[in-house]
Amino acid sequence: MTLETRKLLDKAFSGLGLIAIGMMAAALLLILTPILWRGSKAFIFKGTIEHRRVMLEEFDRGNTDRFPAEMEKAKAAREPIYQILADFKAEMKTMERSTRGEYKSAYREVEQAITVLLGPAPGERTPVLMRQRYGQMRWDRTQIKLHEVLFSEEWDYSIPGAMGVLVETPRIEQFAGTKLEPLFHYMEEHIDEMMRPKTTFYWQFITDKSKDSHIFGGIWPEVLGTLYLTLGAMLFAIPMGVIAAIYLCEYAKEGRVVSFLRICISTLAGVPSIVFGLFGLAFFLNTIHVSDSKSVLAGSLTLSLLILPTLIRSAEEAILAVPRTYKEAALSLGAGRWHTILTVILPASLPGILTGIVISMGRAAGETAPIIFTAAVSVGAPLKIWETLNQPTPALPWNIYNLCTEHEAVDEIRHVQYGMVLTLVVIVLLLNMAAILMRARISKKLRG
Amino acid sequence: MKKQILALIIATTVANFTHAADTIVIDGSTTVGPIAKAFAEYFMTANPDINITISESGSGNGAKSLLNASCNIAAMSRPMKDSEFKACAEKGIHPVAHVVALDGLPILVHPSNPVQELSLEQVRKIYRGEIMNWKELGGPDKKIVAISRDTNSGTFETFNKLVMKKQNLSAKVEKVGSNGAIRQRVQTTPAAIGFAGLGFVDKTVKALKINGIYPTAETVQTGEYPIARPLFMYTDKYPKLGSPLYQFNTIHLTEDGQEIVEEIGFVPVTAY
Repeated sequence: MTLETRKLLDKAFSGLGLIAIGMMAAALLLILTPILWRGSKAFIFKGTIEHRRVMLEEFDRGNTDRFPAEMEKAKAAREPIYQILADFKAEMKTMERSTRGEYKSAYREVEQAITVLLGPAPGERTPVLMRQRYGQMRWDRTQIKLHEVLFSEEWDYSIPGAMGVLVETPRIEQFAGTKLEPLFHYMEEHIDEMMRPKTTFYWQFITDKSKDSHIFGGIWPEVLGTLYLTLGAMLFAIPMGVIAAIYLCEYAKEGRVVSFLRICISTLAGVPSIVFGLFGLAFFLNTIHVSDSKSVLAGSLTLSLLILPTLIRSAEEAILAVPRTYKEAALSLGAGRWHTILTVILPASLPGILTGIVISMGRAAGETAPIIFTAAVSVGAPLKIWETLNQPTPALPWNIYNLCTEHEAVDEIRHVQYGMVLTLVVIVLLLNMAAILMRARISKKLRG
Repeated sequence: MKKQILALIIATTVANFTHAADTIVIDGSTTVGPIAKAFAEYFMTANPDINITISESGSGNGAKSLLNASCNIAAMSRPMKDSEFKACAEKGIHPVAHVVALDGLPILVHPSNPVQELSLEQVRKIYRGEIMNWKELGGPDKKIVAISRDTNSGTFETFNKLVMKKQNLSAKVEKVGSNGAIRQRVQTTPAAIGFAGLGFVDKTVKALKINGIYPTAETVQTGEYPIARPLFMYTDKYPKLGSPLYQFNTIHLTEDGQEIVEEIGFVPVTAY
């Protein structure tokens, strides 16, 4: 091979490497940007007066002095709408039967659309369902709902053999010449005064309970559930993992049994997480009955099994990386084996063990499959610490999936779903960062 | 001193643990899910110290949970099967059915689909794979994408019994895990057809007339709409009178409960 070709190959290789790294960065950007952008909308958005009303009435939060005045203003701005509706109703009574029939169903649509936008009309009784007590809480949703008031949607199937086309007709044309006609202009022009949008920073999204299946409030039960499950899993996995690693490295005699054990551990690391989930259901819940129903305890135990192999392998590597001389020095000074492990080997390998813990903690927080059958529910209250022993909990990874596929009104609350995604990503990042910092501090201390 | 404090902590924890019995665990149908969630919200507002948890894992799983005594209420969108009753009886569990609402099973298509009406026979042929193209039904020249629920679902059982007459589905039919997933699949696929509970119909999908009848509260209640069924909550024996479980399980009989059922889009058992 000439020098030229070698150089060329060298360049080609480094070029490939650069491309690979670039692609990875692009992929990361492609994933993270929408997560950040959409997720942030759960926290920072233009909230309408209805949002502030929910905050005040359901969460006891907000300015009790200023709010009534603001609400009065909004109500005053809405007043003409209900006046126009009443006028039109009266007008309908004077119409001939055939024309009245024409308007009747169209009018009902308008009325319904307005109720969705502004909440129940004044004087109407309070609906039992919370989601029907309030109007639109977010400005982006408000505009969508306003559009539904202003335009009627119909599908035109007149072209034979083709799919239908969506036709939007302004309702103002439908009601031209009636007393309802001025309504649409009024709504378009005064929507700001009726809803009074204000940029809102709703950081309590994380710490608020969810109300009426996630339509109101925040995601505290999910966040707390995720933390419980993660910490619970670590509680079981760390001692077991470290002790197993110490045994394998320091006590066990190298031989067939130990290498067989190692193969088992590696295999366990490759088992799909859903299998762990099913095992958790069959063993912890149905066989040894750690709790009556699904519970955080059962979920934590299942998760701890899932992360155990990673923990054992990384702890083992860390312990084996401690220089032999440390151990020999300790033993030569007369320290016993146990004493040596406790005072010399474990501290020296702590940074490595912590790395393993970090990786598995992130994994435990984000895993969905093991908790589906053992711990996760779609609705539940935030748990107190002793309740984790026998009660199930909502958890972020599961509830993201659940909202997306099972919620009956998911299109109304996409922001909650994205908010959950962002929170989960941030929790995992924070856990990792905390552990990385801790590791850095410990290894610095060790180096003296 | 330290030991005493520790003992105290343990004692209070244990005491709390035994006190924490005020929970209601619901497992089962994704169709009944919205009703259960709304009832739970309603109940917990009045009784804040009772924690109600709900999993939506399918009617079959609800029955299994009740069998394993790991839930208080099994929400089911189909009646229990003989085999399930038998398994329960062998374990000393006596399932009692509470019908909380009625539900039609609308056949859903994309709103841009010009087809407005099908007969039961035609729906069956679509899912049998005998009708493959919307052209055969007066629609555009598009291949039909048939979507069904998985076999664990009570909604599927109903569909299987009332529409398919227990004939096998074509292997090409796509199977998804929840009502919401069916709606999502239909709203994003112009040539799709699917079915879901009444409470999941919104304007992003179009319900078809079946045998000339459109699924509404009235046509479901009168039995005119051919694909309808009751929705159940099963408990082990009738709940102890006055207990939270009893109170929860009678919400659907109250006026408020009826209104909730109706507002979510299902059909109350009795019309006041």
